[in-house]
Amino acid sequence: MFSFYNYVLCCLFMLFFSSSLYISMYCFLPDFKLSNAYNINLTCTKAASIISSRSMDFPSTQFVPSRTMGTYEPIHQIGMWGENFKSIDSPNISPSMIVDVANKLENESETTSHELLAPSGKYDQDASKPLDKIQRRLAQNREAARKSRLRKKTYVQQLENSRLKLIQLEQELERARQQGLYAGGALEVGHLGISGAVNTGIAAFEMGYERWMEEQNKLICELRSALNAQTSDIELRILVESGMSHYLELFRMKSGVAKADVFYVMSGTWKTSAERFFSWIGGFRPSELLKVLVPQIDPLTDHQILEVCNLKQSCQQAEDALSQGMEKLQETVSATLASGQMGQGTYLPQVAIAMEKLEALVNFVNQADHLRKETLQQMSYILTTRQAARGLLALGEYIQRLQALSTVWANRPREPA
Amino acid sequence: MQEAIPYKSQMAARSRLHNFLEGAVNDGGRRLVTNGSGTSVTKLVLENAVIVFGRRGCCMCHVVNRLLLGLGVNPAVCEVDEGKEEAVLNELSIINSGGIQFPAVFVGGKLFGGLDRIMSTHITGELVPILKEAGALWL
Repeated sequence: MFSFYNYVLCCLFMLFFSSSLYISMYCFLPDFKLSNAYNINLTCTKAASIISSRSMDFPSTQFVPSRTMGTYEPIHQIGMWGENFKSIDSPNISPSMIVDVANKLENESETTSHELLAPSGKYDQDASKPLDKIQRRLAQNREAARKSRLRKKTYVQQLENSRLKLIQLEQELERARQQGLYAGGALEVGHLGISGAVNTGIAAFEMGYERWMEEQNKLICELRSALNAQTSDIELRILVESGMSHYLELFRMKSGVAKADVFYVMSGTWKTSAERFFSWIGGFRPSELLKVLVPQIDPLTDHQILEVCNLKQSCQQAEDALSQGMEKLQETVSATLASGQMGQGTYLPQVAIAMEKLEALVNFVNQADHLRKETLQQMSYILTTRQAARGLLALGEYIQRLQALSTVWANRPREPA
Repeated sequence: MQEAIPYKSQMAARSRLHNFLEGAVNDGGRRLVTNGSGTSVTKLVLENAVIVFGRRGCCMCHVVNRLLLGLGVNPAVCEVDEGKEEAVLNELSIINSGGIQFPAVFVGGKLFGGLDRIMSTHITGELVPILKEAGALWL
């Protein structure tokens, strides 16, 4: 029963409450919105609920500062308020205590959800429907909070696992690099530990090749200017000789690194991608180069044309023989590896025999380079000095064009992913 | 009056033909076998216009054979077994008073060289006249 006296008392108290609360909140929370009457009511109800629950010795649950509270009609709130106060025996509440509580609530509501449930049995039937809604929403929020906590946990675990995997991979990479197996652009982890000599041989070759390429470009420039400037045959002869010996130098370097790692030479890693496209046993096909260069050396005498024709044919025959030999080597290695029963995971004997067979590959690389050398020499015998100079210049520029193609290809505009 | 061909020589001729055909079908050359004894190796060298000695299954030997076949030569190929390698090598070096490596090519009863020499002479155009001279090539 609600007497008029009680009602007046409650209203006065509430007024006192709100004002003190408002003042203190304004002091402590600068962004506190004055215009939001519902917020005030909210905090008051919160405070009241806490007080009631504490004095009533109810188990404290967390309170959700949901905006839905704001949809409450003030009369209902006041009713609740009144009911709360009715049930309090000794309303000996100091404003500071309420402020503290309110602050605590405000701070806590910044993080995850907290709920504070007033005991439902204390309320009117009018207030029970909204209270059910509150309870339902609070329960939902609890669920959502739990789920998000679980998700966060699994995500963090995944991150930790990925980090560990990354560290492991980096270690493996470092180990394999040190073993000198990072050759040919591919990472091969072998059980037979190849010594660092391979890596040194390859590194030395790559440095040497860079120097060789710089020197080659200089030679090409000199040839170009010499041919344009109508220099004497004697000077041209010197340039041609240095050009030829420069190529011989390259063949020497290749032979050295082939002993260290023949697969490196076969893969042509030190060359640009367009050059690699034309690769045949670690270099260019002599017959292909002849086809490219001979038209650049025109005019040729009839005798020269015949000789060049013969040379082209001989080159082709030699290349065919070498290619057939390579096929046979592939067959042999394949047959050796595939011998015996497959499927048990034991194959070291086969691998050992295949290693022996593979040694023949070094011979193939050497023979292919020998063929290139011989073709170059023969051309220098057939041609005059001036023609040879033009031929060397054309050969140099052809390779430069291939390298330019590789660069343009590498920098081509790609469609956005 | 015509004499009937004795059976023995008939068989020999047939086996030679068989050898020849077999060689053409396989990876080149007429297959010959040697047991490493001095006389048989020397005999082989002298009997054949072109003969290639190589290890069994050697791919370089295959290259030589293919090249010679491509030129129209039908070389005799002697595949040396592993155990007999040394003996054959010794014998061959006696003939030629010098070191020999497999594959070894003999033309016209004399040592011609290895794959290197074959390649060089082929590119310079000297190989074909040499083969013609030895009677390994007609045309």
